[in-house]
Amino acid sequence: MTSSAPARFNPAAVAAVSAWVGLLVLLSHWLGQQAYRWLPVQASSAAPLVDDLFSLETAIACFVFVGVVSVMAYVLLFNRAEKYDMDDAAPVEGNTLLEIIWTVIPLVLVMAIAWTTIGVNREIGAIGPMDHSHGNTNEAMAGAPTAEIQVIARQWSWEFRYPDAAVSSTELHLPAGRRVGLQLESADVIHGFYVPAFRLKQQVIPGRSIAFFITPTREGRYRLRDSEYSGTWFAANQVDVVVQSENAYQDWLTRAATQPLRPGISDASREYAQQQSRLRSSGYPTVRPAPPPMVNVPGSNTLPHAG
Amino acid sequence: MTTLPTAPPGPTPTHGEGHASHPSYTLTGFIIFLCSESVIFLAFFAAYALLKSTATSWLPPGVEGLEWRTPLQFTVVLVSSSGTIAVAEHFLGKKRLWAFRGFLLLTMAMGALFLYGQASEWSGLSFGFTTGTFGSLFYLLTGFHGLHVATGILLMGLMLGRSFYPDNYEKGEQGVIAVSLFWHFVDVIWVLLFLLLYAWQA
Amino acid sequence: MTLTSLDPGILKASHPVPGAPNNWKRFFSFNTDAKVIGIQYIVTSLFFLLVGGLLAMIMRGELITPEADLVDRTVYNALYTMHGTIMLFLFMFPVLNGLNNLLIPCMIGAPDMAFPRLNAAAFWLVPVFGVILMASFLVPGGPAASGWWSYPPVSLQNPLGHLINGEALWITAVALSGVSSIMGAVNFVTTILRMRAPGMTFFRMPIFCWTALSAQTIQLIGLPALTGGAVMLLFDLVAGTSFYRPEGGGDPVLYQHFFWFYSHPAVYVIILPVFGIFSELFPVHARKPLFGYVFVAIASLVIVGLSLVVWVHHMFPSGVPQWMRDLFMVSTMLIAVPTGIKVFAWLGTLWGGKIQLNTPMLFSLGGLFNFVFAGVTGIMLATVPVDIHVNNTYFVVGHFHYVIYGAATMGVYAAIYHWFPKFTGHMYFEGLGKLHFLLTFVGTNLNFFPMHPLGLMGMPRRVSSYDPEFAFWNVIASLGGFLLGVSIIPFLLNLVSSWVWGPKAPANPWKAIGLEWLLPSPPPAENFEDNVPTVISGPYGYGTGKPLVEHQEAYERALQEA
Ligand code: HEA
Ligand code: HEA
Ligand code: CUA
Ligand SMILES: [Cu+2]
Repeated sequence: MTSSAPARFNPAAVAAVSAWVGLLVLLSHWLGQQAYRWLPVQASSAAPLVDDLFSLETAIACFVFVGVVSVMAYVLLFNRAEKYDMDDAAPVEGNTLLEIIWTVIPLVLVMAIAWTTIGVNREIGAIGPMDHSHGNTNEAMAGAPTAEIQVIARQWSWEFRYPDAAVSSTELHLPAGRRVGLQLESADVIHGFYVPAFRLKQQVIPGRSIAFFITPTREGRYRLRDSEYSGTWFAANQVDVVVQSENAYQDWLTRAATQPLRPGISDASREYAQQQSRLRSSGYPTVRPAPPPMVNVPGSNTLPHAG
Repeated sequence: MTTLPTAPPGPTPTHGEGHASHPSYTLTGFIIFLCSESVIFLAFFAAYALLKSTATSWLPPGVEGLEWRTPLQFTVVLVSSSGTIAVAEHFLGKKRLWAFRGFLLLTMAMGALFLYGQASEWSGLSFGFTTGTFGSLFYLLTGFHGLHVATGILLMGLMLGRSFYPDNYEKGEQGVIAVSLFWHFVDVIWVLLFLLLYAWQA
Repeated sequence: MTLTSLDPGILKASHPVPGAPNNWKRFFSFNTDAKVIGIQYIVTSLFFLLVGGLLAMIMRGELITPEADLVDRTVYNALYTMHGTIMLFLFMFPVLNGLNNLLIPCMIGAPDMAFPRLNAAAFWLVPVFGVILMASFLVPGGPAASGWWSYPPVSLQNPLGHLINGEALWITAVALSGVSSIMGAVNFVTTILRMRAPGMTFFRMPIFCWTALSAQTIQLIGLPALTGGAVMLLFDLVAGTSFYRPEGGGDPVLYQHFFWFYSHPAVYVIILPVFGIFSELFPVHARKPLFGYVFVAIASLVIVGLSLVVWVHHMFPSGVPQWMRDLFMVSTMLIAVPTGIKVFAWLGTLWGGKIQLNTPMLFSLGGLFNFVFAGVTGIMLATVPVDIHVNNTYFVVGHFHYVIYGAATMGVYAAIYHWFPKFTGHMYFEGLGKLHFLLTFVGTNLNFFPMHPLGLMGMPRRVSSYDPEFAFWNVIASLGGFLLGVSIIPFLLNLVSSWVWGPKAPANPWKAIGLEWLLPSPPPAENFEDNVPTVISGPYGYGTGKPLVEHQEAYERALQEA
């Protein structure tokens, strides 16, 4: 759009610009398709929607970026001053038509993105709580199915409680193919519930109980990461998410209920204990990690996981 | 021979002596500053409104509401002091320095009375700065405003002192205009604050 | 007055007034000359760029392996917190205020700033809060370690319970920085509004002044809100109030609103003057008028307006209602429009120009390249579902370093090279400058590009350790980071050596148009004194032959005779 030479329109220039735009569109389309490969596997119903949007944006971004850069490349190749030529170039002070064009095109592009996004947002619908919820009462969720799983974030561990099955765990198990309700709570500071393979994320805010819905779609072992900086062991506040078939999930619940309680996974407490025993003093003072939650199933923290 | 551009109007600069000779932009600067300052209050107001409208229980246990009649009386005092400082300004314009000083003193006294009222209200309250969100915000807002009242009184004192310098009030009264603007500002903020804290108790 | 009487007026450089050029001690004193203050700001900020950069080098050293091995986790957290804080409050804002001080009075033909003493006071607050912030490395609990956002409740946790702790010092320093910036902003805005040369209407003002005016307006509106929020945070931390503490009925998300209400617009405080720099430099070094001057000028104001209503895009995953997400997404995306107007105006300026690839131009072109890349990732971040995925991942870190280092810092380098001859009176060494550019451009892309795939894969930011699948891109990023560390060497070498040994600079080495180029290099203490020229045309008349001021030849002749 920028290269259309002001005023004169000779056929050669028009052809060149069209060819250039065509090439850009092809390149952008190709890059948009590549975009899927940069993302983790799609393991929730939201993931394909997010990825399609991202692919579209990658294409538009490529169009804009390469478009601008190719103009820069062109002028660097063909509009350089000769050595020792300190003269001025022909003064072009502006062109109202061009100004209008390059105001309208970005406007249309971003509004198109925004429109698409609002649509995708509606579709994902279940991304988050959608509304502030206060004092442990969540009016927004009145009437919705009560949460199946209670998620408690602590400095620095995750605990998952399945009240109906009387099970607790430090590994999140979810059934594939159905919408699951989670109730997110924090015992201390703000944490973030983030499973990259699900493309979903939600701050876990102390003093609130936030309802959160996920529809896992793909069986496998994924990673749950704390995504809101929560202090010293923030980086280690990760556990695994296991998505399994409904049957396997129910099986797991029944078996888990028979297990005795024992300390769950908490890398922070383990590291803290090591530090204390070795009397390491190379760091600054830290908040002491909460003791590992007592759970039926600690689960494992082993690699690799699918995303 | 070309004639050269003439210097901007105003006295010729004297160099090496600081910059006293440049035209003064104090008032422009001060107005800009006041606009900026008002955003701090806006921020506090927004915090109050937001926390109040989302709270499950707002007032500290045992507190029914704020007594508003006495504060209303002091509000009247403060608001009328906006008038007395305007009168003072008027007399300054008329070069009646003693009348100016008198009304400036009166304004200061009214400001001080307001602060006294504030202090006595504080000492009679059953909740403190750390008793819950309401208490914190109440003291934050009234305290921050009180600080501005005190500053205003101080600035007026400064103007009062300066009025005894010979010639000081010949060149213009930007300082007084600025202080008076500040005082009106403090008053307007108080009115908003009164509405927020005392009138909106539902 | 006659022509001959002009000379004493604009040739002050040859017989300096007290505290004017040739007396280095003035840089260490409470000097009220905007040009001295400008250099004080820039030198101070470059020192802090080194400090902040040093911390970044340690961080990249830690991140070159997945384990938390180089430094303890608590130390890493303190490092990135201090890195972000130092870079923004002690490097970026001061360096831009330094440029403001040097350029605004000269560009509008004012002798100095409107309030010279306030100006000096604003500067001297910088070392004061710099020392306070540095001192926090020495207090028993260590420096603040809750990120540059300082979100409660993490920021309110004070393991040792001391009253003087890193977090309290951090809040104090940031508040003082705010006071200093407001003092500066009042000064810049008043100066631009009231002290322009005769004939310099708003639409004859150089774009840099437009962008400075816009940026400083943002400071005036936004900073007080942050200050208010920070005061409440400080009370929560040291006085036991509960504005943000959920257990006392407070709301931690309220703080997020305060913080971003300022800190989003703050990014435009940074980038707007850099847009100004691009708009000044492209015309000079492409020998063409700025394309669509009026549109570029107005676009700055539009950006100011929009920047105040987009802050929630930093809080999409905090549980804000859906309508807010949609609204703030749309307002954020709209910023692409005025920004695009500027980008295309620069391309229009370059198009058909006679481009000279000297160091300032290289940095401007490199900066524009990086900016557009950062801009399109910004648009991705603005769309809620994509942001939800990459929020708080390295994708965001990549986005903002592209713009803050790749565009803003490179723009600042461009400005330093471009105006170096004007304000020091010496030419810099072109070879070293080009080397600096090459290392910076390659280093920036090597360092910050890999952060995008990392973020898309789901690597969170602010982590001292990470899963091994992220190792590959992190190694590349670290190598790029170290290259950036090296890139600073030719820069510093150039500055110091050319200031001392560089060839003497003519008054107008670039044949540029602008009031500052009608002054000797370096300009005398009071710029034009009483001989302020009357401006008769717009600021970028390259190739038009239109003189900028009345009696242009007289001014030029006087410069030649000097
Ligand atoms: C100078 C700094 C600067 C600048 C200029 C910008 C510019 C932009 N930023 Fe960025 N941003 C930061 C610094 C900056 N940002 C920082 C520091 C953070 C993180 C803070 C932290 O978390 O610590 C951040 C984070 C951040 C987020 C939050 C991400 C998250 O935490 O989840 C978002 C989300 O919307 C965002 C968006 C944008 C957008 C839309 C722009 C736009 O202004 C960009 C507009 C420009 C263009 C679009 C390119 C040019 C335009 C064209 C060529 C026209 C055609 C274009 C199209 C049709 C698309 N930024
Ligand atoms: C102006 C702002 C600015 C600038 C210029 C930079 C510059 C750099 N930043 Fe910065 N960065 C931020 C602002 C900035 N950053 C902010 C706001 C954050 C977020 C913090 C938060 O999350 O709270 C951040 C976070 C951040 C992270 C993420 C940390 C994390 O989330 O865990 C990383 C990681 O790589 C990083 C790296 C770098 C690097 C390599 C540079 C390089 O460009 C630096 C180049 C280095 C130099 C130019 C100097 C080199 C110095 C030497 C060689 C030593 C010599 C010195 C002496 C003798 C004193 N930064
Ligand atoms: Cu003019 Cu000093
Ligand atoms: Cu932002």
